[in-house]
Amino acid sequence: MTAASYVPPNVLPPFLQRFAGLLKRQWFRELVLAVPTISRRRFSNKTEDYGVFKSSRIAGIGQLSIYVQDIARSRSWYESLAGLRHSRTCEEEPHPFKQGWRIRCCYMSASEHEECLVLVEERDPDGKVTVPSGMSFFHMAFELQGNRLEDVMAFADQAKRAGFKRNYGPVRHNGEPPLGDGETGGNVACYFYDPDYNNVEFCGAMDTIENYRARYGETRGSARA
Amino acid sequence: MTEPVATERISAAKLQHHVIYVSDLEKSKDFYMRLFDLQFSALNHPDSSAAMRLSHQEMHFFSFGFYHHDICLVKHHKLEMDNGSMMHFSLVARDGAAFDDIRRRADAMAVAARDGRMIASAKTAPGQRAFCVRDPDRHWIEITLEPKP
Repeated sequence: MTAASYVPPNVLPPFLQRFAGLLKRQWFRELVLAVPTISRRRFSNKTEDYGVFKSSRIAGIGQLSIYVQDIARSRSWYESLAGLRHSRTCEEEPHPFKQGWRIRCCYMSASEHEECLVLVEERDPDGKVTVPSGMSFFHMAFELQGNRLEDVMAFADQAKRAGFKRNYGPVRHNGEPPLGDGETGGNVACYFYDPDYNNVEFCGAMDTIENYRARYGETRGSARA
Repeated sequence: MTEPVATERISAAKLQHHVIYVSDLEKSKDFYMRLFDLQFSALNHPDSSAAMRLSHQEMHFFSFGFYHHDICLVKHHKLEMDNGSMMHFSLVARDGAAFDDIRRRADAMAVAARDGRMIASAKTAPGQRAFCVRDPDRHWIEITLEPKP
C-alpha cells in the first residue's frame, strides 16, 4: 500500500457522488426504502426524544486531532477551503500512547475556536509516516460563520469557484423540499474529502432545543411520528 | 464593464459536531450516556433512512443539551472501524462540578484515566484541568475544564 494509492473503503466513489443528490427526491428515498416498507420493518426517522430537556455534563467539543500524511498539504487545504488559520507547528514529540513512535503537530484555529483542529503526522519507529485509515470517524463538522442556510449555500458556491469538489450536498438534514434529504438534525450541510479522505462537513442552521420547542412545545418526537 | 461585487469570504467558525465509528452501538451508547450524560436525540437506521440504507450504516445522535447533535456514533455494517485516522478528541466539561463528576463516574465504571492533556505540545492555560480516557473502541477522549475568563 502506498500513500498515493490508498483510498479508504468508506469513501464514496466519484460515480456514486454524482447520484447522491437524488436523496433530495422523496420518490428516490421511498424507492430505496421499499424493502423495509413492504416488509413492515420500516420505522420513523424522526427524532424521538429531542429535546430531552436536560443538559449534559459537556459544554462542547474542544479539540480534534487527526492523522495526515503531509502537514503542509493538509494545512493548505484547511486554510484554502475552511478558512482555518495556522496557529503553530511544533517540533517532533513522542507519541502520547505508542512507545517508540513520534508525532509532529500542526494546530489550526477557526474564527471562534482556538486550536480546534490538530493535524498530526505520525511516524513509526523507523521514521516512516503512516497512512491514515479513514476508518476512525465518519466525518467531522464545522459550523460556518453566520450559521444560516444562506451562509452554507454561499460557502458551497465559494468552494466550487475555488475548485473544490463536494462529495455531497448542499442538503438539509430533514425531509423538507427542496434541500431535505430525509435525515435528521435540520442542519444545512455540504461535505468534502480532505487530502487524506477525511470527510469534512461544513454546516449551519442546525435544530436547537429552542427552535424545537418553538415548533413542537413539549411534544416529544414519538408523539408526532 | 461593471466591477464584480466584492463578497466577504465565509470561513469555519468552530468545530461543532463529530461522528465517530464504533463497533458495538449499545456498548458505546451506554458508555457515553453514563459517563457524560449525553442525551440521545435521534436514530438513523437502514430501515428508516435512505442514506443509511445505501451506505450500510446506522447512526445514533447525541446532544450536549443545545444543538440537535454534537456527537454521533456510527456502526458500519460492512466495514471494520479502527483507530488509524484519529488520535483523540476532547470534550469541555460544563463546569468544575461536572468535570469532577465525570472523573468520579470514570472511576466507578472502572475506566482507566490518565491525568493531563493528551498531546504534550497542546496549550495549557493556568487553572486548566484535564484527563483522558478510552471509550470501548479505544478512541481516546480528553476531558478538559477550561479556566473562567
